[in-house]
Amino acid sequence: MLEIITPLFLSLIVGGTLVGIIFGAIPGMTATMAVAVCLPLTYSLGLENGLALLLGLYVGGISGGLVPAILLGIPGTPSSITTTFDGYPMAQRGEGEKALRIGIVSSFVGGIISLIVLWLFAPTLADFAIKFSYVEKFLIIFFAMTVMAALSSDMLMGVFSGVLGVFVSLIGTYDISNGGNGELRLIPPGTEYWLESGFSLLPVLIGLFGLAAILEQAEIGVPKGHSAKDLQVGPKSTFSFAIIARNTFNLIRSSLIGTFVGILPGVGGSAASIIAYTNAKTFSKTPENFGKGEPAGIVASESGNNGLTGGALVPLLSLGIPGDSTTALLIGAFTLQGIQVGPLFIGNNPVTWDAMIVAMLIANVAMFVMMYFAIRYFALVVTIPKHILFPVILMMCVIGAYTINYGIMFDVWTLLIFGVFGWLAGKIGIEIAPFIIGFILGPSAEVYFVKSLESFGDLTIFFTKSWIAVVLWLLIVGSVAGSVLMARKQRRMSE
Amino acid sequence: MGDLTRVTIDFDTSHLIFPTLIACVLGLLGLAVLIRDRARIAATVPYWRGLFAAMDKVRFLGALVLTLLYFSLMVPVGNIWPNTGMGFLLCSIPYLLATGLLFMHERPLRQVLPLLIVAVFGPVFVWWLFTYPLFLSLP
Repeated sequence: MLEIITPLFLSLIVGGTLVGIIFGAIPGMTATMAVAVCLPLTYSLGLENGLALLLGLYVGGISGGLVPAILLGIPGTPSSITTTFDGYPMAQRGEGEKALRIGIVSSFVGGIISLIVLWLFAPTLADFAIKFSYVEKFLIIFFAMTVMAALSSDMLMGVFSGVLGVFVSLIGTYDISNGGNGELRLIPPGTEYWLESGFSLLPVLIGLFGLAAILEQAEIGVPKGHSAKDLQVGPKSTFSFAIIARNTFNLIRSSLIGTFVGILPGVGGSAASIIAYTNAKTFSKTPENFGKGEPAGIVASESGNNGLTGGALVPLLSLGIPGDSTTALLIGAFTLQGIQVGPLFIGNNPVTWDAMIVAMLIANVAMFVMMYFAIRYFALVVTIPKHILFPVILMMCVIGAYTINYGIMFDVWTLLIFGVFGWLAGKIGIEIAPFIIGFILGPSAEVYFVKSLESFGDLTIFFTKSWIAVVLWLLIVGSVAGSVLMARKQRRMSE
Repeated sequence: MGDLTRVTIDFDTSHLIFPTLIACVLGLLGLAVLIRDRARIAATVPYWRGLFAAMDKVRFLGALVLTLLYFSLMVPVGNIWPNTGMGFLLCSIPYLLATGLLFMHERPLRQVLPLLIVAVFGPVFVWWLFTYPLFLSLP
């Protein structure tokens, strides 16, 4: 265990957390973008060191979003949206630093609780999943897709987006290494040379989360950066840990909600913080204070979104299914090192598993120390001019796409295609999280589906293979029925 | 019933089974979206017209055009000095500068100077990092 904690390992975590906080703190830039842009750097770092950097970016990126949410009323990342509700009113009445510190402590606790859940739960789930045959593996993916669609803001479009992702992932050869016949499909004539292996995962991800975000900013004219005068940090703070102590139950509940939401595939930090915030308000003795600068609101929001970080790694490391868009990118880091994540991962790679747990722990501590003691300096991050940052990020996107497969120019064009697609998707209602999870899981779903039929030769096998298959079908039906009922209830309430 | 659910997979055509199934599901879902959102789809032209009118056309289209140029020129320029990464370096400097200037709101020398420094030293640093310590190829 100790041999993995080298000075390089530690510096990468701390550096990653620092860069992540900066990305998270700048409105329009997200933790996912930070991971996407820095992913190619992990190629030459090795798996453990690469993951140290990426996990630092992930924790820092999710946490940094609270800075502009509180000081400017603009969420730095989508997961900080509910932090603005109470953080900004506190900043307006001169309690900016106090609000920031409440958010930082809550983020830290949320991150640590989710890490404990990850540490305890992922190996158990992986041990259980090892027994799964192709049938159960296919049903797990099917279940993941239905949950993801059910929790989308628009269920029909969520399903459509996920299936579209699967369809796009099937472009290219039916891979012989996965038991396929090596034949091409879904390739327009004349493009066989470029699309023989389909679209590479990483250029697709970098395009969707890097270039698309910058195009969205360009569309609205790249809003001017904020000046230091706009920041309402307030006087030296009156923060005390008694505020956190008063919210202990809220803090633990919100962290666990965030962790649970993280475990569900494709559901991002914004859902985690919104559900945690709504619960905190429902169970509060003073719900009327929420939205007016109530510390409990910041506690719920920030512990909820940081609770997501460990939770989202549970399905990734035990089943190979990413819990959110950022963990989907982590699959890229494993792919770069030739390692497949799934039920066998923890058992076969104990050093990497330990390194990930240690990296998450150190990243949370580093985030807390850096942000708690230097929050006034981090607040200035929001003043970094975007006209300098965005071109540099675009250049990093190009390098990432080009180097990922040892220098293929088509990957750079893939970046552009999916960057424009990502921008368009937002306009026509296609949801990116289900799309990307469908894209990642599509090839595995195909192998499991076809091999199940090849082995058993009967469609009923998907229902009769084992009691696990029956339970999975019940969960699938339950998630669809639940979301339909919820949608009906919402429609009735809005009428 | 037993015969109805029985399936025989022909290995030679097995690459088409799942894509065909997914295409059918996608088609059905597309149809459902079309029926449900017919009013929204009918208003597509005004929607895009409105979107285009509200858009910062210079910055958005300018960024797209510059990116297209950047990608298109990298390989031809790189081919002049093969395997040196010069295509990346020589195209990235003007691209960073042009995009930065495009995204800027005011362009006094005091603000252009830091951009110029980043536009020159950023690509040079990345080129050096990828060419020497990391040994990764650039166009």
